[in-house]
Amino acid sequence: MSRTYAYFAGLVGTVCVAFILAMLFLPLTRTIRSDVLQGFLIGFGLAFVTAQVYARIKAVRINGWTTLPRLGNPGNGMLMRAACAQLFPGPVNAAEEAVYWWANSDGAGAALTGQQEYVLHFPAGGLPPNNAFWSLTMGDAGNRFVANSLRRYSVGDRSGLVPNPDGSVDVHIQNEPPAGRESNWLPAPSGKFILWLRVYQPRAAILDGSYRVPPVARVEGGQR
Amino acid sequence: MRLEHLLIFGSVMAATWFVAIYFWPRMLLSVFKRAILVKGFGDGPIPVNTLYTQREDLFADPLHVPAGGSKVASAGVNRDTLLTLGWLDLSKGPLVLQVPDMADRYYSVQFTNPSNNTNFAYVGRRTTGTAAGGFLITGPGWDGEVPAGMGHIASPKRSVLLIGRVLVYGDGDIKAAYHLSKQMRLTRQA
Repeated sequence: MSRTYAYFAGLVGTVCVAFILAMLFLPLTRTIRSDVLQGFLIGFGLAFVTAQVYARIKAVRINGWTTLPRLGNPGNGMLMRAACAQLFPGPVNAAEEAVYWWANSDGAGAALTGQQEYVLHFPAGGLPPNNAFWSLTMGDAGNRFVANSLRRYSVGDRSGLVPNPDGSVDVHIQNEPPAGRESNWLPAPSGKFILWLRVYQPRAAILDGSYRVPPVARVEGGQR
Repeated sequence: MRLEHLLIFGSVMAATWFVAIYFWPRMLLSVFKRAILVKGFGDGPIPVNTLYTQREDLFADPLHVPAGGSKVASAGVNRDTLLTLGWLDLSKGPLVLQVPDMADRYYSVQFTNPSNNTNFAYVGRRTTGTAAGGFLITGPGWDGEVPAGMGHIASPKRSVLLIGRVLVYGDGDIKAAYHLSKQMRLTRQA
């Protein structure tokens, strides 16, 4: 659900509505051929916009993170299935198997970019509750892997994150390695990026929505 | 504007709207079907009722996707699980999925209904545990006995998209995860 996509959906919606209004109120010469053709195109455009709007209504946003509930579950409704097919490139897991959050903005709502430095701070005992594993994966603006000196594309329960003395965990998300904190570095590209938080076999606190993913916080004075 | 034009335009629009929303998941899954059965993922097409596991070298170095293969399996960023994919056709009878002992390693096999992109069954650590086993996969209208000691997956459709995910603990573990993935096998019911 990137901003570009939102603008595109808005544009398609506006064009469709403008067209319908023009047809209703302007004295245009009509043929049956144009009725059918325009009906088809506008119906298709509105279907795209409907699914996009539905996804935005159903999306749960917390601290800059977005997730869609009941993805991949049977009986989740025709509109949710259309939205899911538009937003994800393939079949995704049912929520009981895995829950996905994504973020393209920090906790304050500004776009995530490698021109800034960020910290994702999990309080002590606040890592995503799961019975399998969790991971935080970096994608560039086009949702592709980001080349970096460590060849590290994600961090998580298996990446050797070093907790702070109080048991909390900081993930440093930035373009340049943080001196002395490389173990907790998730390399970012120099431009805009997307973060994916995956939790497999999520526990009840995630499924019932009570677990809140902490915000990705911009480090003051961290800009390059 | 005359009423009949408005009616024709309006009904075509409403019908297209409904059909597009209803069939959007099916359109996405038909891309997957084509990717698996026609294009493959860099090693040629994958026959129906055959499982294909993502290549080790591709997982180790995800920046370089081999040319010639479909990109659908490598779309998005996933560095957790090694993927196994297969397109199943149950019209000629049930199939058997064999899974090896995963020794508590996370894995899942997702069975997706290609007509609406929802998952109607899972085999794996969460649902069936990690011991070795066999699962009989049957299509609609199947009437028979499930062999003793075998699990049963009843598919609502003759076509099924199967997606397997085996957890990779780290770069040194890719080979082990690949080896386990390759031991997930589909056979025809004996």
